[in-house]
Amino acid sequence: MAAIVLFACAAPSERVPSVDDAGDPLPALARPSRIVSLNPATTEILFASGAGDRVVGRTHWDGWPPEVLDVPDLGDGIRPSIETVIGARPDLVVLYASGENRDAARALRAAGIAVISLRIDRIVDFERAATLLGDAVGEPERARAVVDSVRATLERVRVAAAARRSRPTVFMLSWETPLMTIGSGSFLSELVEIAGGRNVFGDLAGPSPQVAFEEVLRRDPDFILGRPETAGKLGANARWRGLPAVRDGHVLVMDTVLVGRPGVRLGEAAVSIARLLHPGVIP
Amino acid sequence: MIEWRDVSVRYPRAPTPALAGVSFTAMPRSVTAVVGPNGSGKSTLVRALLRRVPLERGRILVNGSDVTAMSPRELAQRVAVVVQREEPAFPMRAREYVALGRTPHASAWGDGGDRRGTAAIEEAIAQAGVGSLLDRHTDELSGGEWQRLRLARAIAQESDAIVLDEPTTFLDVAHEMAAFELLTDLARRGRTVLAVSHQLNLVSRFADQVVLLHRGVVAAHGAPDDVMRASVLEAVYEWPLVVSRDPAIGAPTLVPLRRTVPSRE
Amino acid sequence: MSGRLALLIATLIAVSIAALALGPVALHPGELWRVLAGGADPVARAIVLDVRAPRVALALLVGAALGMSGAVLQGALRNPLAEPYLLGVSGGAAVGAVMAVSIGWNEPTVLSLAAFVGALSAVLLVMGIARASGLRADPRMLLMAGVVVGAFANAAIMVLLATAPAEAARGALWWMMGSLGSAQWRDVLRLAVVLALTGPLLLHWARDLDALALGHDAAAALGVAPETASRRLYLTASLLAAATVAAAGLVGFVGLLVPHLARALVGSRHRVALAVSALAGSTLVVGADLAARTARAPAELPLGAVTAVVGVPFFLSLLRRMR
Repeated sequence: MAAIVLFACAAPSERVPSVDDAGDPLPALARPSRIVSLNPATTEILFASGAGDRVVGRTHWDGWPPEVLDVPDLGDGIRPSIETVIGARPDLVVLYASGENRDAARALRAAGIAVISLRIDRIVDFERAATLLGDAVGEPERARAVVDSVRATLERVRVAAAARRSRPTVFMLSWETPLMTIGSGSFLSELVEIAGGRNVFGDLAGPSPQVAFEEVLRRDPDFILGRPETAGKLGANARWRGLPAVRDGHVLVMDTVLVGRPGVRLGEAAVSIARLLHPGVIP
Repeated sequence: MIEWRDVSVRYPRAPTPALAGVSFTAMPRSVTAVVGPNGSGKSTLVRALLRRVPLERGRILVNGSDVTAMSPRELAQRVAVVVQREEPAFPMRAREYVALGRTPHASAWGDGGDRRGTAAIEEAIAQAGVGSLLDRHTDELSGGEWQRLRLARAIAQESDAIVLDEPTTFLDVAHEMAAFELLTDLARRGRTVLAVSHQLNLVSRFADQVVLLHRGVVAAHGAPDDVMRASVLEAVYEWPLVVSRDPAIGAPTLVPLRRTVPSRE
Repeated sequence: MSGRLALLIATLIAVSIAALALGPVALHPGELWRVLAGGADPVARAIVLDVRAPRVALALLVGAALGMSGAVLQGALRNPLAEPYLLGVSGGAAVGAVMAVSIGWNEPTVLSLAAFVGALSAVLLVMGIARASGLRADPRMLLMAGVVVGAFANAAIMVLLATAPAEAARGALWWMMGSLGSAQWRDVLRLAVVLALTGPLLLHWARDLDALALGHDAAAALGVAPETASRRLYLTASLLAAATVAAAGLVGFVGLLVPHLARALVGSRHRVALAVSALAGSTLVVGADLAARTARAPAELPLGAVTAVVGVPFFLSLLRRMR
């Protein structure tokens, strides 16, 4: 397809895919002028790539950059209301790639709208998505600049954290009941590694595996990283006080708005985690 | 005509048979009554006819044909049965209920409301005297009214035979007598009428033939005068009684005696 | 009586038109007619013909199917609280769907098929349990077997959901709450075929229901073989219910409420009551689906929740009027 040839010429060192994350072929688009982004991470990428003024629809959960709040809220990004999306008259819809959205992708394509399904679990996915989207909306250079900027920040954090002698182990508390943590399949785990920590459950592959509390006790993490709502309550909980990290007060609260999604602020997210784990490492 | 020939029925896991070697014939133009104590097998007789219980031995023949060789529809066209217990799950209009009697005659997609069916329904309503009940719902009727309505439904079936299991439950004296007079009338018009009843005195006055069942076996069989004898009945019912003959009534009357005589101060 | 029936039909037509005209996206007044006439702009056409029309068509079919199935089961089981999913359909379908989702088969066609197979298996299991007890078509036995199989299915679902990945669990739960959100003409065709085959059959056998409603002995006295007639009614009604579950997930309350409404309108003669149940069911589901997608647009409420919310007060008022 013409798109592939174009990409191949522009960046011979990067293997550019010809299908999206749902396995469907990438649409060949002239510069789309009305874009609906049903995924906060891709919305951030579009705005950062300079296509923000062409975004005509977002999900309820989008919050960054601040200008996105002026864009019409089209509801949920999972099982979106097809009618509402069509009503925004887009020529491109960026969907979250999951089994549940397959119907939506098909229905939108049947209505003559180009669809790109993306799923960003890891940092490399972010880079790929940014490149892909940049090419799709006709802003390849700016997208590349975003990717480069994020990479540079991450590298800076990695170097600074590596200079510190210690590599504390971190347990990321994703959900309490059932007890769930972040596995190596998630960008969050990668951020922790870059920030000079070690994911105490890094041996688990999935993005969000369930774990047993006994196992947490056994692995005895140095730090616990959690959401503001949960992290504050651990100290009062008898079970959690069984962990040395809790008794010593090594419970860190992560800024979920910043750290919660694999978007263009991955660099800043890594910085914020590094500052928690190694105070003073990054001024 | 309905003939029970050496009929034996045993319920699953029952130690004794419910019916053992029962043979008799209910003739057309006559009223046959089946009597006997509780548990003697009277209702089983009716259920066997309806093929609700399998026969261990013997045959039941309606107009000469074995009931097992007929489809349920054919059987219902020949024999109308008013079972002992019947309660509509959803209340219906009395008129609709009587019309249900045409079910065995209804065509594939019809409901039996053709001209002949309508005539049969009107006739049945008149004979059973339920005209005043027609617009009420089945759950609004008294026990007696419901009983009479069921009779109307059976009559509307226009079958050669009518079998009734305890037709006079819930009926007061007047309606009891009216019911049996109706049965006699139906018999006179040509039908085979079989009534299972525990009302010995009514049976003795109206039945042409009485079959006395005792523990699944025919203990006595014949005209009321022959069956209604103290010696026979006391043995079957295991209760002291006296059979008197009042000429004004013209049929034997059963009077059970008190076993314990109270002292009246 | 026919006045009230005419009112029902009029309501059905009105609510169907409203369902085409209304939705999260507001169309200009008159745009609906332009679309139907073949004109109007492509976006409006896409919305009306590709998004709303199949939904409305499927809602009509699902409502009719559930209405009839519920009426048949209430009559055959002689129980005014019977409903289409009673003989294991809901439990079996949910287990089928959750199992498929847990394995990773969340392609909609596969999910529908898994639900359908699960539902039928559960129905056969229920009838097998009833037969093993020796009382094959006894309503009480069937009801108990249905409850037991349903409880077992619920336990199985909970186990499966507890160990499934989060996305799978969410997908399964969404499906179980019922939705016409992904309605396509393909689904409409499938359900239409099933309804076209089973509907006339049920209407034909409806007369047996009048006899069965009196009790098994009395039914036999009217020339209806109770076991045979009941069994084929249970199976066909459950098959129809399973087909609706495959198309739209679990949509509760319709099959329970609508037959009562129909009987209140036209009496208890089942042939007429079944037909009216179909009409009333269609009306209810089209209306509920319209509410589900407009009440909190652009978010969509689960269809099963809306039918319950609409159904409960309606049912209570019906009960009060019946006393």
